Amino acid sequence: MSEKILAEKNLIVRHRTIELVEHWAIAISGLLLLVTGIFELPVAKRYYIIEVPGLGWSADFITSLYIHYAAALVFTVAGIFHLVYHGLRGEYGLIPRKGDLGASVVVIKSLFGFGKEPPMHKYLPEQRLAYVGMAVIMIMLIVSGLVKTYKNIYAPDMSLPVVLTATWAHNIFFILFFLAFLAHMGAIALRPNWPMVRGIFTGRVRLDYARHRHSLWVEEIEKAEPHLPDVTEPEDTPAPSAVNDENNPDSTLAQTPDTGSHGEQMDHGTRGQNNSEDEKERHT
Amino acid sequence: MKSPDKSQISRRSFLQITAGAAALTGLALPQTAKAAAGERLSTLIDLSLCDGCVGREIPACVSACKSINKNKIPAVADPIPEPWPRKAIEDWSQKRSVTDRLTPYNFIYVQKVTINDDSTQKTFFIPRRCMHCDNPPCATICPFSANHKNKNAAVVINQNQCFGGAKCRDVCPWEIPQRQSGVGIYLHVLPGFMGNGVMYKCDLCNERLEQGQLPGCIEACPRQALLIGPKEVIEKEADSRAAKMKGYIYGKEENGGTATLYVSPVSFEKLNAAMVEKPGEPDMQTNIKRRMKKTDPLGKAVLASPVLGLAAAGVLGWFSKRQESLKEEKKDSV
Repeated sequence: MSEKILAEKNLIVRHRTIELVEHWAIAISGLLLLVTGIFELPVAKRYYIIEVPGLGWSADFITSLYIHYAAALVFTVAGIFHLVYHGLRGEYGLIPRKGDLGASVVVIKSLFGFGKEPPMHKYLPEQRLAYVGMAVIMIMLIVSGLVKTYKNIYAPDMSLPVVLTATWAHNIFFILFFLAFLAHMGAIALRPNWPMVRGIFTGRVRLDYARHRHSLWVEEIEKAEPHLPDVTEPEDTPAPSAVNDENNPDSTLAQTPDTGSHGEQMDHGTRGQNNSEDEKERHT
Repeated sequence: MKSPDKSQISRRSFLQITAGAAALTGLALPQTAKAAAGERLSTLIDLSLCDGCVGREIPACVSACKSINKNKIPAVADPIPEPWPRKAIEDWSQKRSVTDRLTPYNFIYVQKVTINDDSTQKTFFIPRRCMHCDNPPCATICPFSANHKNKNAAVVINQNQCFGGAKCRDVCPWEIPQRQSGVGIYLHVLPGFMGNGVMYKCDLCNERLEQGQLPGCIEACPRQALLIGPKEVIEKEADSRAAKMKGYIYGKEENGGTATLYVSPVSFEKLNAAMVEKPGEPDMQTNIKRRMKKTDPLGKAVLASPVLGLAAAGVLGWFSKRQESLKEEKKDSV
């Protein structure tokens, strides 16, 4: 289901099913990777984690490795899928563009009560920046993890400089991933972002919230489907005039921003992209 | 490492040892044997030859090892920082003279085992040290890659990178690495909360190997009970000796294979039954499986995961685009 307004239900569709699946596959596997990555350090016995009911296995490095591998499988498939799938579809809405840095400062300040929150599009400019940051972290974790996995199975005597580079890259980006996760949780904790949380579970957010905070985004959808306030089949609507042109930076910016939450960030790539996709449909 | 030196001296050293072994046992070793640069090595410990250096205060192999490594461990912090919350300090700095078990200051010891074989008591002396596994879990699972398997088979802990978490000891079937608290890089990071010293074990005298010298224990053995050479040669030699004495080999299959082959005229089940496992005194359980082997299939799936992701994206991407074009065609026809 693409973006559309469900006026009777006071909802607006924000995420497609495939994006929700991508987000939660990465989120759950990423969390498991974080936990089992920590358990690959000799901390479970020292810090009495093994005494916690249900965590008796935490000091068994081989068990943790099983889970780490299983989660890495999902994480890597979902991450590569995300990049390639939306890349193939030409959905580049979340690639940062000129002016994002300055615009991000204004929006973040407004979140903390400094200045007025400007009219929002679907995503915030800082989300585009955060999205790229997370993508780099994930790519580095995946590449270094693959090297380590290859070493574990096929080449325990792999060149030491290669092993050390992969190991320390994995360790450093593990820390950055953990910090990014905390930032994500921090963004969710900000009250203005609370209404967005249901979106990442159901794909829909409240329409009145969207009108209030993401007025530019709602206007775009309404412009695109002027005769269908409660759109159920946007694909069949006649082509509207200019809405979001994915080749137009300004219009893509209009598709992007929002909660600053990391789960949302995972969607961003998809999300800005979705708009483009919707546009294609609407133009038909 | 200088390859020419290594190749040259290794060849000479190996031939020396093979000549000695041949003289003692009456066996001939392949004359082609040589340990060229980067060549995978293996070691052989013949229990029919080791007599524990009866009459010496300390067995020659142990004595040589201690001498070579006497200055390896730097000065220990005083006081040693107390780890938190589990206050487990392992300090052997005041017990450096211990030679009857593995310690951070003693990388090899000779285990004395007496068994009843065909109603007669027989005593065996078994030099015990790191087995230098072919795929050592201690190295592959080290979170900082401070422990590494070299091309020449030596599994070496870099004491400047090790935090002393003892993970390597936990995953070693023989619990070989030993910890010395109060030394190492952890003292400069968060000594109370992270790390607890440095792990030490036999490194097969890797530096000596790189300089074309034999490991100290092998060089010092007065009965040539310890040999080193190219892996294939040593394996053939072990097979040959075991066949001649109608004996047994230990280390060829254990933990997925190792670079240490014990040859014994009695079974290792019998020897192991007479052993009592204690910290620093490993037993010799047979058929030890490499636990990480069970994770290999899942690891291989991980290695294939980028291709899976690409394939899924390609198929779904193509499918979604096709759906779009079909819709467009439908609308055009309307």
